[in-house]
Amino acid sequence: MEYIIEGLAKALELIFSLDREIYGIVGRSVRFALTATLLAALAGVPLGFVIGSKSFKGKPAVITLLNTLMALPTVVVGLLGYAFLSRKAPLGFLDMIFSPHAVILGEFLLSLPVITNLTVSAVQAVDKRAYLTAQTLGASRWMVAWTVLMEARFALLAAIIAGFGRAVSEVGSAMMLGGNIRYYTRSMTTAIALEVSKGEFGFGLALGFFLLAVAFSINILFHYFQVKGR
Amino acid sequence: MGETEKSCQLELKEIAHRYDGKIVLTVDHLPIERGKIYALVGPNGAGKTTLLHIMSLILRPDQGHVFFEGERIGQDESQRTHARRSMTVVLQNPYLFNSTVRANIGYGLKARGVESAERERLIQEALEQVGLKGFEHRKARRLSGGEAQLVGLARGLVLKPSVLFLDEITANLDVKHVGQLEQVIMGINRDRGTTIVMTTHILSQASRLAHQVFSLFDGRIVPSGMYNLFEGKFWNNRQEQYFDTGRAQIHVARDIGEMERGYISVNPEDIIVAKERLQSSARNVFKGKITKIIEQDGSVQLEVQSEETFRVQITRLSFHEMGLTLGSQVFVIFKASSVHVL
Repeated sequence: MEYIIEGLAKALELIFSLDREIYGIVGRSVRFALTATLLAALAGVPLGFVIGSKSFKGKPAVITLLNTLMALPTVVVGLLGYAFLSRKAPLGFLDMIFSPHAVILGEFLLSLPVITNLTVSAVQAVDKRAYLTAQTLGASRWMVAWTVLMEARFALLAAIIAGFGRAVSEVGSAMMLGGNIRYYTRSMTTAIALEVSKGEFGFGLALGFFLLAVAFSINILFHYFQVKGR
Repeated sequence: MGETEKSCQLELKEIAHRYDGKIVLTVDHLPIERGKIYALVGPNGAGKTTLLHIMSLILRPDQGHVFFEGERIGQDESQRTHARRSMTVVLQNPYLFNSTVRANIGYGLKARGVESAERERLIQEALEQVGLKGFEHRKARRLSGGEAQLVGLARGLVLKPSVLFLDEITANLDVKHVGQLEQVIMGINRDRGTTIVMTTHILSQASRLAHQVFSLFDGRIVPSGMYNLFEGKFWNNRQEQYFDTGRAQIHVARDIGEMERGYISVNPEDIIVAKERLQSSARNVFKGKITKIIEQDGSVQLEVQSEETFRVQITRLSFHEMGLTLGSQVFVIFKASSVHVL
């Protein structure tokens, strides 16, 4: 118990003393996750729209695959990324391994199925009359698509927030692709894993508080947009 | 080119459409003339909405061709979008986008690239036209059913289409809003010369507003009005063939072969009204009571309640000479050959 109390005191001290390393790690984590989420949204929302709005052969199989990918273990993404990006791998010439780009790529791959899948659901939930109405009012194909996405905007925001949640909280791929390099690729989750293993429980706990705060904020936002969309 | 062809704005030729492999609509030829109001009437499932969607280029028919302004509309999406921009469809229970009334009404204008100042002016004009001035900032989803229908109509009117399609737009509305909508419909046809094609199941509304009424039944345009349309089963006894509606037995002249269940209709103009039973060759004679009298365009339509309700059309002169009033006992008489087997 004493161990926990000491850790807690140390964590609070680090937080209130505005420890540069702690805040640097938090900022870096959020930056990585935001970039990955933005890229995943740019790819996942149009992809989800196409899957959700079109009828094609194999659609149920695609949706099943997306559902499976939503639960993809982060360490598997790290492993696959490493297989392709390490020095001797096919994409080794890109010199991405153990760089922020590699971390972002891993987080992108993890949040893409989340955003795509939730976009499919969001688009499928839009009243079919929205398409018809937009068409009858003379909208082009692009405008019809944009209108449908706007009708689903609250659910789409919730999808993007869920994607961010997946990216910011993962540890496996960030560790394997980023290498947990101090001041460079170290993020909240990788730092917690490292510091706790070193016995720096207070440091890990301080980062844990931030991670919880981020997760809590994400959930509040997620709930807000879900309620607003109803 | 004949005068009719010149004024024909929209034309359907040899249309057939299927759902799940079953033919739900067949139209050999349907010309729509510029500046007129047309009503498509018929029971639920008759194919009114399918026909309206084909005419308005929302739906591609499986067979046949649609001509708009003399041009055959093919599969090319840009040609269809271009043609669609001359038309507007107002749906029953219109879908209003999850935004303000102003954004909803301005949607089609935005699609046409109308600049914002002009857009604003046209929105205000349309709101005024449907009696919703001051509603522009309201949330569209929070309007009442009648108000939402009026916004749907304003959204169509603001585009000043050359053809306006109205799909059962007065269904589920209160009397006040129905009257208001009918006034708007007649006004835009009169003032702008807009061609209007509307579907309705209210026959009196169709005859009140439309220059021409098309009756649809079971996916086909049928020759008689939708009055005196009966569902039932056929049966025969050696010499005579009957149609049993469950309440009345009606003689039919056509050989019904193996038909069991089906529909028949009798043109109101083919029915004779008499105050006494007549000795005649007509096989169908029903005694009943006049329950409704509608005078229009030099003729009088009577509704006679007998075993079935019959609609009869007579001249105004006959009506006055016979001294008919509501509640008068009369006989409705028609020949077996006047019965159309559908």
